[in-house]
Amino acid sequence: MERARIARQPAHLLLASEFGSATLHEKGSGEYDPSFVITKLGAKVNRIVAAGLLERLELRETSNGSSLYQGQLRDPTGLHYFSVGEYNSEMMQELAHQWTERLNDGEPLLVMMTSKTRWYQTDEGAVYTSLRPEEACVVKREVYANWLLDACQATMARMNQFTASLEVEPTLDAYARTGLPASLLAARNHYGEVDLEPFNLNLMQALDIAEGRIEAATTPPPVMTLPDGEDAAASGDGPGVDAFLLEAIGHLDQGEGVTFDTLLKNAVARGFVREVAEAKLDDMLDTGVLEEPRFGWFRLAPSE
Amino acid sequence: MASDKYADYVQAVQKECPEADAGEIAEAFAKYEEEFYIPPQDAMRSVLRRFQSGTTPTPSGGGSTTTRQTKKVANLSELTGSDRDVEIEVAIVSHNIRDQMIRGEEKQIAFGMLEDNPWEENGQRTRWDYKDWGPHANLAAGSIVRIEGASVNEYNGKMSLNINQSTRIVVLKEGVATTVSSNDPIDINNIPKEGYICVVGRVLASRPDQIHRKDGSGSIDVVRGRLADDTGTIGFLSWEPFDHEVGTLVKVDGAQVRSFRDTPELNFGRTTRIEVYHDANFADLETLSQNTLTNVAALRDGSRDVDAIVQITEMTKRTFDRDGEEKFLWSGQIADPTGRCRISIWDALPFDENELPVTVQVKGARVRAWQGIPDITVDSADQLTMLETPPWDAEMDLTNHAVDVKLTDVVAGPSRVGMKTRGMLVSVREDSGFIKRCTDCRRVLRDGVCFDCGENEGTEDIRLRLVVDDDGVTAAVLVNKDASLAVLGMDQEQMRSKVEEVGDLGFVQYVRELMLGRQISVSGRSIVDDQGAMVLADGFELEEHDAQMRASELRTQWGWA
Repeated sequence: MERARIARQPAHLLLASEFGSATLHEKGSGEYDPSFVITKLGAKVNRIVAAGLLERLELRETSNGSSLYQGQLRDPTGLHYFSVGEYNSEMMQELAHQWTERLNDGEPLLVMMTSKTRWYQTDEGAVYTSLRPEEACVVKREVYANWLLDACQATMARMNQFTASLEVEPTLDAYARTGLPASLLAARNHYGEVDLEPFNLNLMQALDIAEGRIEAATTPPPVMTLPDGEDAAASGDGPGVDAFLLEAIGHLDQGEGVTFDTLLKNAVARGFVREVAEAKLDDMLDTGVLEEPRFGWFRLAPSE
Repeated sequence: MASDKYADYVQAVQKECPEADAGEIAEAFAKYEEEFYIPPQDAMRSVLRRFQSGTTPTPSGGGSTTTRQTKKVANLSELTGSDRDVEIEVAIVSHNIRDQMIRGEEKQIAFGMLEDNPWEENGQRTRWDYKDWGPHANLAAGSIVRIEGASVNEYNGKMSLNINQSTRIVVLKEGVATTVSSNDPIDINNIPKEGYICVVGRVLASRPDQIHRKDGSGSIDVVRGRLADDTGTIGFLSWEPFDHEVGTLVKVDGAQVRSFRDTPELNFGRTTRIEVYHDANFADLETLSQNTLTNVAALRDGSRDVDAIVQITEMTKRTFDRDGEEKFLWSGQIADPTGRCRISIWDALPFDENELPVTVQVKGARVRAWQGIPDITVDSADQLTMLETPPWDAEMDLTNHAVDVKLTDVVAGPSRVGMKTRGMLVSVREDSGFIKRCTDCRRVLRDGVCFDCGENEGTEDIRLRLVVDDDGVTAAVLVNKDASLAVLGMDQEQMRSKVEEVGDLGFVQYVRELMLGRQISVSGRSIVDDQGAMVLADGFELEEHDAQMRASELRTQWGWA
């Protein structure tokens, strides 16, 4: 009999924007201690339930010869990156295989996944989060819409806690007294000031979608449609390398821009062809979308 | 006879605890079954735990001849119960001195709490109790010290640090004499399970008592009693003279909270300051006494002086032999609108057992728990007052009443019978579907083999094994056959042809497509122990919500309409 079993970590409900913008990581010192990602709103998650449109799923060989499915899942607020590898259950791998084929056939797949969270840092110091699904399935839109609302409520609860925390002395004791989680304090210390407005906009848009007011929710980008029509697969090849580069620069820019190397490495890691990404960077410089404040460093050009 | 019946279980227990006596194990199972209607498969965990805690850990190979390695750690979490000669830097949270008789000699020892990770601001910190057998003069509350050569003590799963006479204490930062217990009194229902606190309360009860030392070396005079404020009541144990009369309002600063089973209790010692407090607005004794009425949901293992109004729904008399004398015990089921649990009455019933259900007021009862389910123990019929009508709606059918409990409360609370809870279904385990149970013990077979009984042809059963999460807590859910089939909308044969069509794993995936990520509600009983919370569900529903309506509601609620 296993003794002193490590308790199962509960799953939290997170929209992609909150998870994707997280850079803080926490892990206990023991070998089997769970690892957590702490988001800007203070959610401390080892496992999440994510849902959305399966946007990309591809099989690739890794350098050591094993195969890995890499994919992305879009919800109204952004993208989740996930991978399914040989460490997953056979069932999950089989599912990834089936979904890859269905996706290649152009079938829109709205999926729900219970996933472990992963945090990693590139050699350059860029921090990413991603998911490792444990169980997943295709869902109907009503289920998705309800999940969306559950996730919105959970996000709103965290936003309210965040707002409440602004009035509280930043010590563990004071947080405990007011019923705020310790992870929120860690988040406040790590992220500094956080603008809640993007989260508000995300929630409004998610509500529109759950309510079936797709047009209201269709602001460019991201484009999100529920698969109730034939054009739903359109977003499957939607954001290309330029969208990724913009997103990456947005995420990684700490004020002085992002290096050429970092951008290309990350683009390649996401499955883009290096040469294409390179050409795209040049294009965007030419068209004034990006600027290069010093050689090899890129940042978004100030709009107007 | 009895031992034959439980042979398989006894064997299983012995596998874990080789030193346990077969007769004793069988007796334990018999007791669960006969006295408490707990079949052996349900009692297994409890019996195992009992015998495991009785076994002494096998000494590790080397013995004392091997030279000890100092184990240097940064965090308490890196330590295990067997660690000796530990070096760690900690902050001393509290420090109390107490006299103790050790081998016939009066000796001072110090005890208190310490905290790891003392240097990192706002870092994660773990607190442990410690005992200082030195005692070391340079140990003081508020200081940060390096402890070299301490040992870890593990008792009932709780870890503490022993600072021995040979231990070296290096003071790294002098204690800023911050008083540990903040002088802000806290409400009684907010008292944590461990720690030092300050509280203002009225003395509800107080009586002298004696504690007998286990080693027979004498007894200690103590005072036991109960304090109340308008949020609740708590028992106390004073190791020092306590002569405040019942009804006195006192402020107690620096009381230590200790938990007996699941019930917190205040300990007053030498460093505790108790003074009479004046507050004209504080609730009077009479009002507070009424508040002591508790309900089934609030019962905790180890509570004493419990008053409650309950309905007795079932009663059975059991007789047994003690020292050649025949004794009896009434045991049965009780309920109130907050839940159901058990009762044991060690006296003749003050009512006719054929007139059930009856409503009674119970006074001054003790609470024990079997398998986590509270059992109100009544020693004498005087403690029961018959009531004509219950204080709740008499039409309520309590025997089939499922009380709604939030999952966070299910996980944090005691085990419950007749509960209902909800959350998001986050996992359908792969061993859901058709299963085979051992024909002897009902345990689920793995590849035709029972863990306890060996190879077995098994009998078929159906179940769903799920995980439900809500608001940051998690519970395992086992759904029985009828409820599983009902939610799938199938009968057994339809389910069989589905499984034949798509395979076992295909069926699991089919279930996932039906319910993963959805809000569900389950009803049945819950078992909460150190392995987490589990709901044994005989009712299961997939909630249907109109997303459009919900979205509009949220919009209004958030002022975005």
